[in-house]
Amino acid sequence: MKIRKMLTGLALTVVAASSLASSGLTGQPAPDFALKSSTGENLRLSEYRGDVVMINFWATWCGPCRQEMPLLDELYTRYERVGFNLLGVNIDDDSSRAMNMIHELGVNFPVLFDARKEVSKLYDVDAMPVTVLIDREGNVRYVHQGYKPGYEEKYLDQVRSLLRE
Amino acid sequence: MTLVKTLGFVQALVLICGAASIAQESAPMDADAAMAEATTVAAAESESRDKFRALDKDVQSLKKEVLDLNRDLFLLEEELLFPANSQVAFFISMDVGEYFKLDSVSLKVDGKEVANYLYTDREVDALLRGGVHRVHMANLKTGEHELIAIFTGQGPHTRDYRRGATVQIDKGIGAKYLELEITDRVKKQQPEFEIREWE
Repeated sequence: MKIRKMLTGLALTVVAASSLASSGLTGQPAPDFALKSSTGENLRLSEYRGDVVMINFWATWCGPCRQEMPLLDELYTRYERVGFNLLGVNIDDDSSRAMNMIHELGVNFPVLFDARKEVSKLYDVDAMPVTVLIDREGNVRYVHQGYKPGYEEKYLDQVRSLLRE
Repeated sequence: MTLVKTLGFVQALVLICGAASIAQESAPMDADAAMAEATTVAAAESESRDKFRALDKDVQSLKKEVLDLNRDLFLLEEELLFPANSQVAFFISMDVGEYFKLDSVSLKVDGKEVANYLYTDREVDALLRGGVHRVHMANLKTGEHELIAIFTGQGPHTRDYRRGATVQIDKGIGAKYLELEITDRVKKQQPEFEIREWE
């Protein structure tokens, strides 16, 4: 009986994990958007066609985001010169909080403000953080919901393989 | 006996000569066969090349047909979604742009926001080079409509600038094209926003 329960639990965990890893957007062209960035510039996703792009949806109230962002920044600094771009999309209503957090964490990647939540809706963001990886052709290749220590290794592998394509 | 020997010798000679002549005849026959074979191979090769060329031509024409079909479908879809009679298209253009750096344009038709477009530096550059951007396309009933266009950006001395322009649209039968043009008013050193209709 115990074994059956354990197996059911394991099966449920596997199903949950696979549903987290997969998304309806995977394999689809990444929806285009333009948002105002932390530097005051407007940035449009389609202008990065030809580069590998990572979009990281985050909020100031999200603990794992705070953990993840410096690691993503390392990735960005390392691979920026070989065609890797990282766009952080902040979903807070008040962008000044996000600006404070960016300064506090000292991250260098461009942060965009989605106060109207239009872009988060486009990407079906229903967890925090959500990290989307887009290939050089502009197609969504990987979607990661949430963050746990060790995910950065996965990101590294995926970014490297997309850069090699 | 001698006669018999002589006859035998003559017979042998005749046989040898016959064999030699047969051998001589068979040699050109082999060469002919090889030549004929080579000709057949060359013909087969050229035939296959021709077939390949024809196939390539077929593929090209098929590709063209697919592209044509795609274009027709696109036009048909557009006609269905935006019938020519109710179609209204809004375009943005910029002239000079010394006193205004465009950031975004928001359009309201009859008090309802229908478009809100953020321009990147590249897009602004394209507008300054003479590009025209179709910012929105809509279906409107015939009659009077109010269009409000709100332009935001940086004005003279890099100050934040927000200006609105309002126009009454009289929508008749047939498509309507409206151009929202940003120009410089040199005398006042200010940008100017004009809405005009394409005839």
